[in-house]
Formats: sequence, structure tokens, C-alpha cells
Amino acid sequence: MTSSDKLTAGEIVRKVLLYVALIIMAFIMLVPFAWMISASLKFEKDVFSFPIVWIPENPQWSNYSEIWQKVPLLTGFFNSVKLTVCVTILQLATSSLAAYAFAKLEFKGRDTIFMLYIMTIAIPWQVYMVPQYKMMTLFGLTDSHLGIVLMHAFTATGVFLMRQFFMGIPTELLEAARIDGLSEYGIWAKLMLPLSKPVIATLCLTSFTFEWNDFMGPLIYLSTTEKKTLQVMLRMFNTQYSSNYALIMAAATVALIPVLILFVFLQRYFVEGVATSGLKG
Amino acid sequence: MKKKLVASIMAVVLAAGLLAGCGGGNADSSTGSDTSATEESSSEEESAPAEPQQAEVAEATTEDVTIKVALWDYSNTEYYKTMFDAFQQQFPNISIDVVEFTADEYEDVVTTQLGGKQDFDVVFMKGAPKLAGLIKQGHIYAIDDLIANDADFNKDAYAGLVDELSLDGHTYALPFRYDNNLLYYNKDLFDAAGVAYPEDGMSMEDYHELAKQLTSGEGNDKVYGAHIHTWPSNVYMFPARTEAFKFDDPTTYENLIPYYNEILAMQDEGLVQDYGMLKSSNIHYSGVFYNQQVAMMQMGTWYINMLFENVGEGKENNFNWGVCSIPNNDSMALGNCIGGVTPVCIGAYATHPAEAWQFIKYICGEEGAKVLASCGIIPGYSSPAVGEIFDAAPQTYPNAPEGLSKYMNCEKNLPEQPMNAKGGEIDTVFQEEHSAIMTKSITAEEGVQNMIDRVTAALAE
Amino acid sequence: MGKANNTDGQVKSSTLRRRKTLVAYSFIMPNLIGFFIFTFVPIVFSLFLSFCEWDSGNPLKFVGLKNFITMFTKDKSFWISLTNTIYYTVVTTPLTLGLALFLAVLMNKPLKGRVFFRSVLFFPYVASLVAIAVVWMALFNPEKGPVNGILMALGIANPPRWAASTTWAMPTIIGLTVWKGMGYYMIVYLAALQGISRELYEAASLDGANGWQKFWNVTWPGILPTTFYILMMLLVATFKSYDTMYITTQGGPGEATKVLAYHIYNQAFKNAKFGYASAVAMVLLAIILVVTLIQFKYEKKFSND
Repeated sequence: MTSSDKLTAGEIVRKVLLYVALIIMAFIMLVPFAWMISASLKFEKDVFSFPIVWIPENPQWSNYSEIWQKVPLLTGFFNSVKLTVCVTILQLATSSLAAYAFAKLEFKGRDTIFMLYIMTIAIPWQVYMVPQYKMMTLFGLTDSHLGIVLMHAFTATGVFLMRQFFMGIPTELLEAARIDGLSEYGIWAKLMLPLSKPVIATLCLTSFTFEWNDFMGPLIYLSTTEKKTLQVMLRMFNTQYSSNYALIMAAATVALIPVLILFVFLQRYFVEGVATSGLKG
Repeated sequence: MKKKLVASIMAVVLAAGLLAGCGGGNADSSTGSDTSATEESSSEEESAPAEPQQAEVAEATTEDVTIKVALWDYSNTEYYKTMFDAFQQQFPNISIDVVEFTADEYEDVVTTQLGGKQDFDVVFMKGAPKLAGLIKQGHIYAIDDLIANDADFNKDAYAGLVDELSLDGHTYALPFRYDNNLLYYNKDLFDAAGVAYPEDGMSMEDYHELAKQLTSGEGNDKVYGAHIHTWPSNVYMFPARTEAFKFDDPTTYENLIPYYNEILAMQDEGLVQDYGMLKSSNIHYSGVFYNQQVAMMQMGTWYINMLFENVGEGKENNFNWGVCSIPNNDSMALGNCIGGVTPVCIGAYATHPAEAWQFIKYICGEEGAKVLASCGIIPGYSSPAVGEIFDAAPQTYPNAPEGLSKYMNCEKNLPEQPMNAKGGEIDTVFQEEHSAIMTKSITAEEGVQNMIDRVTAALAE
Repeated sequence: MGKANNTDGQVKSSTLRRRKTLVAYSFIMPNLIGFFIFTFVPIVFSLFLSFCEWDSGNPLKFVGLKNFITMFTKDKSFWISLTNTIYYTVVTTPLTLGLALFLAVLMNKPLKGRVFFRSVLFFPYVASLVAIAVVWMALFNPEKGPVNGILMALGIANPPRWAASTTWAMPTIIGLTVWKGMGYYMIVYLAALQGISRELYEAASLDGANGWQKFWNVTWPGILPTTFYILMMLLVATFKSYDTMYITTQGGPGEATKVLAYHIYNQAFKNAKFGYASAVAMVLLAIILVVTLIQFKYEKKFSND
């Protein structure tokens, strides 16, 4: 870093090439968004016209007001926020606890239980969707937000992700803390969590994106209109014989905003040199 | 420790086994006695093909009841609301609790929820094969007794469709909509080319020839003579109407070969848009016809309604259109119709089957039919009143053709896919082989042979 | 260890161990209970289903190994979709992993506009799959797509017909999957890279290590556990995915893009063969178990070093 003050000609060329490559890549990555926004401003019949018309001649801004009138999107929005926030918080709390034990504590049955966790991620949901629904009926947890939160908050992937990150933290750090008289809970709260801000941010993003975009779960479990989520309502623009993709894309663009805000907000946890400060403490 | 683990897993398995209902008597308070009754009947099925569970015949009460109706497209379809309001005016004591699921996933959700013994009174279905599947699973009540005890009910008004919706000699559903298939054409394009309009009873060769005469232009301005959408039914529909082809009878599949070859030839000559191109660009059939990029297109009668709404004076597209019966090599002009059925049935865990029957009979009867017809949708119920509504269409929609009713009152209404619980499997085979044939990955002969082999194997199971 | 030697020290160490175990369980319990009831029980039930015939309505019927015998001996579609799945997974997984790592290392550097580039890379992951699929298929449209336009301008007379050809349909879908997924895995890698202490790099610099040496000696060991995670998640995700095919090709042309998860979905919901669908899923489970075991072995070896 200190030597980068003076650049040689070769380095400048490399830098320029790098930025050109990055800009081209960024452009490719943005194309689907451009399509979404462009489609959201078109007449239904023009959405799939080919070759793609990127800038609609006569932008239909009314599509955006129409989606709010067609289905109670605001209700869906609040339901989605509620579910997503509950699931994300529960998942972060319970996964980080469990992951600490799996990564750093020795106990009987550890590997076996962990194996069972991993095993479950391999099973496609379609296979156990019906048995799970039957079970939830038995518990009286269908058509309720609680049921969905309970099903989604305790997943194997969260535990797995946190465990793998914790594995990378040197055990000597923990030993030192134990000698200093910290309990395991103390180590988890005062050492592991501050050290793992980037992975907490990652899990937060993963969990939020999954729950926010999840559609089959709420669709099957929520029958009452007032309880339905945003993604379920978005699909209401699909009908049996035709799909109004202009409205779908307008709604999808709106639905994307919270995820992007969260992403930009979480960015700072990927930038700070947390690991270094933690090691010094 | 290992032994303990195995033991605890076994305990879980046992507990889970109870969930499947093999223990019986699941405590689902809302369904009450109906639940146990169905379970008894379904366990009998193990040994002998027992009688299905009949919906109980009872006088519809005058007490206030609420029936639970499962359907799709409710919030974006006006006619449901019109029809349900009218029903409630006539039966003020029956309220309707609509449970709406999205169209694409509807069948999966209903399967799952009925698996959990959801107490739907009325269940709309998207087609006969899935209905047959749910019947086999014991999720649907038979309605023979209800029909037999109902003097007002007239089966003949459905042109054979009620019988088509029966399985193993029992009736389970009434047809709500019947979307048969027609050939739509753009009159303006025909006039401009100086070609006579297509007629009922064309052969595939005539169709090919007409498409050739109507194809003109290059690049983005090209007008295609015809449009073959990407579904397998866009090919098998032609011989299916004359019953030369039957969806669940592999011995009739050979008759598909000439149809495939004719259509492949049209594709090679550039008279229709290429299948691979259509598939990759997600092109929707509705747009190409609205935008006058094609002169002829085979499509279901739901498209009539879409044309009413999207084509006309003051709208973005304005041209005159007409319809005729779909071409075939058996010189059938009018006569049979072929198309998709929307059956409506009573769920096996229904709390109010008697009221559910009242509801079904109403929406699938004369009253419901009139509401559908006034929206340009063809009901399963045919009556002179329905025909009159369609014949009057040009008064409201001047671009629409005269005399639409002759395409609605068919001698025989055939369902596009029959009541066969294996319908889903057959459909998968058709989807796959159709795409292979149309992309010319294999020849029509090879593809049809694969269809025969695979469907025969599936049916033999 | 003599059984009769019940010394004070051993009693202490065993109570200590018990306490340790108790503490450990107190950490996993909040997650384990919820996980056990709501996920594990239905999954174990579905495993049990693989030995049964069940249509979701009628009582289930135990049939032993029949589902597996049918699957391995009679079901041609199973073998086709298994082959396709392996093809899809074997190409998608390393490609996504490699690109994600490359991008993460790049995005971990003090570049100008880093936040912007990271966000943009992450975009396809959160965008609607329909939008992504439409754009991708339009780019690769066999007749009028810009990709074939360029190929023809370069003098290739018969460019591939991409999704409309049995040979090229799978590569087209793989490209789409990699494009959509790599940004997310880049973020996971980025988190892992942030976890590596800077002091280690500084120490390596003092030892005179160059860029590559630093990567292999400091970065790679630091991100190895995360690499395992990504590898597993990618394997599972590619094995379980069928929505991309569902939206773009419906498994066609022919059965060229029919994957195992699609087959499972069809068996369960189109054909109401829930037992058979479970049996097919068991194959997937077996593969994941093997990979996990290898990973455990590797992890142990790694931590013993």
C-alpha cells in the first residue's frame, strides 16, 4: 500500500485495463435490471417484443400506480417485512450460538448432529412439502405467520455458514480468553460476534433475501388475503392464459428496493478491518 | 451412541408415520365426521375397487352457512365477482369464502392442502387429468347421488362433457368453462393480399397453401402466414378434434406424423416463426396476432375475450378478425369441438356439500353461463341464450365476426386432455418429445415412436 | 484406563466433561429444537417414504426397495436426468466458485468505486429470475440474438442454436446460472477474506513473499472452511435447482436439460408418486453425505497440521 504512491507506466496501463474490464462487467450485470425497468414501463403486449426495445416509446408510468390498485400491495409489503425481520433475527441469534458450539466446543455427538444438519440441506423441499404441511395442520400452524417463521428460522444453512467462518478463527484466541476467565457465553458475545461482523452481515443478507423472495412457502401456507406476502401478491398478475409481465416487472422492481437498501447498508461491514482490531484486543 | 441414534431415528420415523394418516383419525377438528368416513372408504380401496365417497344428499339448509371456494385468478377476473354476487342474491343464507391461489402453482397448492385435509367445499380445477389424480387420492366427492336426486339438473346441456368428466363410471365434476379451439384470422391482411378467407373444414395442405399466400415482407416487417405456438397441443389439437388422435391412447399417435411433417415444412419455408426462436424469446401468442405480424393462428376460445378487449377502434390495434374451425385431414367442418375444460368439484373434506352443490349447479348452469358468455368466455353449459350473446358481439365489438355461436354449440365437446390419472406423465412425455421434434433434434417419426414407447410404458404401470 | 481406578481426578474430569457438554448443548438447543421439529421430522418421514408408495391421499403402502429397483432398472428418464444433473453440477460448481473467488479477491482490493462494483455484481442474485432468463435467452436467441450476430460477423456461418439445440441447451443454462449466482458467493468469500488477519499478510510481506505466495500461504488456508461451505452449497443448489430450466426450456429440447430435481418435481406433483420422488431424492442425499464425510476428514487433517 505504501509503495502505490508512485505508479509506473505499466501499472497505469494495468489499472486502466482493470477498470475497463470492471465497467464492461458492471454493464453486463446491470442488463437484467434495465430490462426489468424497461418492461415495467411497457404495454403488456410489447414486453416480449423482439429485438428488445430498451426505451419504450410511450412509457406507461401508470403501471406503477395500477399495481397498487390491483392487489393490496401495502398489506403484502408489511407482512413480508414482518416475516423477514422475525426470521432473520431468530436465524442470526440461534445460528451463531449453535455454530459456536459446532466449531469450537468438544462434546459428545457433535459430528453426528452436525451431519444430520447437513443432510437436510440435500433434500429438495418438494419431497417433504406435503408431510410438512400435514404436520403443520396437526399443530394448527397453517395460515399463520408464526408457522412460517418457525419453519424458516431454524435452518441448517445458517448454522453451516457461521460454523465455517468460526472454524477460521484461531483457537489460541479463545484459549487466551478462557485463561482470562471468560465463560463460553462471554467468549461468544465478546469475542466471536465482534470478530464475525462480515459473516453476520452475509447471513443477514442471505436470510433476508431468501425470506423476502420466498414465494412457495407463503403461497401454500397462507390462505387469508390479509396475511399474504408481497411475493405471493406479485404472482397474482399471472393468470392462466396470459401473464401481465409489465405489471409483474413493475411490482418486482418495487419489491427489489428493500433488498438493495439492506445491501448498501451492510456494505460497511465488508470494508472495516474488523479482524485486525479483534486480534489486538 | 450409534445405537442410541438409530433408536431415536426410528422413533422419529414412527412418529412421522403417524403423520401420513396410516394411524388414522387425525385430530382435525374442523372436518369432523367426514374425515373418518373418507379414511374408511380409502382403506377399503386397498383390496377392492370400492365405491367412491358420495357427497351426502341433504336439503340445503336455510341457516346461514359459509362455503369455502378454492380457485385462481379471482382478484383479476371480473366475472367471478359478478357471478358470486348474483348467486348470493338468490341464496342469501350462503356466503362465499374465496381462497385464491396463483394460477401457475394452483394445482400443486391444492394437492398439498388437500393432503392436509383442508376443508374446501368447492374446488375449481384446471383440467381433467389433475382432477382424476385427486379423485384417485380420495380428495374429491362423487356427485352421482346429488345429480340423481336433483330434478332441475339437465345433463344434456353440457354436450357430453359431464360424461367426459366421469371416472370409473362415477361423476365428480361439472364443467364451468369450455375453451374449445378455433383458427383466428386477420381479415385485413387477407383483404390486402386479395385472398379468400379461410373456411371450415380446411385440410392441413390447404392451411399450408394459405399460409404461403399470406407470408410477405422481410426482417422486422415480415408478416407470417400462420402462427404455431409452442405447446404440444398446438399440433395434436388438429387430429384430436376428429378423434383420429386420443391423448391417452398410444395406438392413435401414428396419426400425428403427417401433422408434424406439415408443420415442420411450414417452419422450414419460413411461413411460421421458428419454434426455437419463439421459445428462446418467450414470445407470447397474443402479441403477434394483435400486432398483425401473423395472418392466422390456432388458439383457444379464451382469446375471443382478449381480442374484444385489445383490438378495436381507439385501441392500439385496430383490424377486423374472423374465426373458422381448425384444419384437419378428415374433412370435418363443424361437428366436434376440442378444448380445455375447467371442472368444478366438491372437496372430500367439505363441511357443507349440499350448499356446495347448489353453488356448483348455479355457476355451471344457465345463470353462470350467461355471465361468462357476456364476457366472451365460453361456458361448459350450452343453451340458445349463450349463443345469442355471442351472436350479438359485433354490436359491442365491431371488429368481431358475425355468427360466432356456431362454433360454440358443437355436436360433441371433447376435452383436450381426458380424465386419466396418468395425464400428468403423458403431458411430460409430450412436452419433451414435442420440443425435440420442433427443434429438429429428431425426426417426427422418431419423436412419435418415443411418445408411443414412453406412454405405453407409463400406462402399463 | 483402569476401571477400578476411580480417582478424584477422573471424577472431576468426567463432571467437567459433563459440564462442558451441557454448556455446548445449551448453545445448540435453541436452534436444534426448532430445526428438529419443523425440518428434521418431515425430512426423516420423507426418507421413510422412499420405501413406500404414497399419493398424498390414500394410506401409504410399504414396498421395500421397489422404488429403488424401478429407478435403477426401468426409469430411463432417471438416468438421463442424473447424467444431465452431473453435467450441470460439474461445470457450474467450479466455474461459479472460481469466478466468485476471483471477484472477491479483486473486490477486496482498495479499488475506486468498490462499493458500486460489489453492488452491481450482487444485483443478478436478487433480480427476478424471469428477468434474468428473458435477457439471457434474448442474448442467445438462435435467429436474432446479438451473440449469434457477433459470431456470424466473425465468419462463423452456422453458429450454435443455443437453447434450441440438444447440444447447446445445457451450456446456455449453465451460463445463466453462473451469471446469476457468482455475485452472491463473491459476497460470502468477501466475508471470509475480511476475517483473515492483516498481520498475517504483513508477516508474509516481511518474509519477502510475492502476491501468489501470499495467496497460497495466507489467503487460501484462511478461506478454506468457507470454500467448503460454498462448494457444498453450490453442489446442493445445482443438484436441487430446476426453476431455471422450468422457466427457460421445460427440460427440453427432448430431455436435454431435464435434471434430477425436475424429475422429482414431476414425480411428486404431476404424477403423485411421492414415495418414488423421495427415492430419487435419496440419491442426491447419498452424494451429499459422501462429500460431507470427505470434508470432515479434510477438516480434521487441516486442523491437526
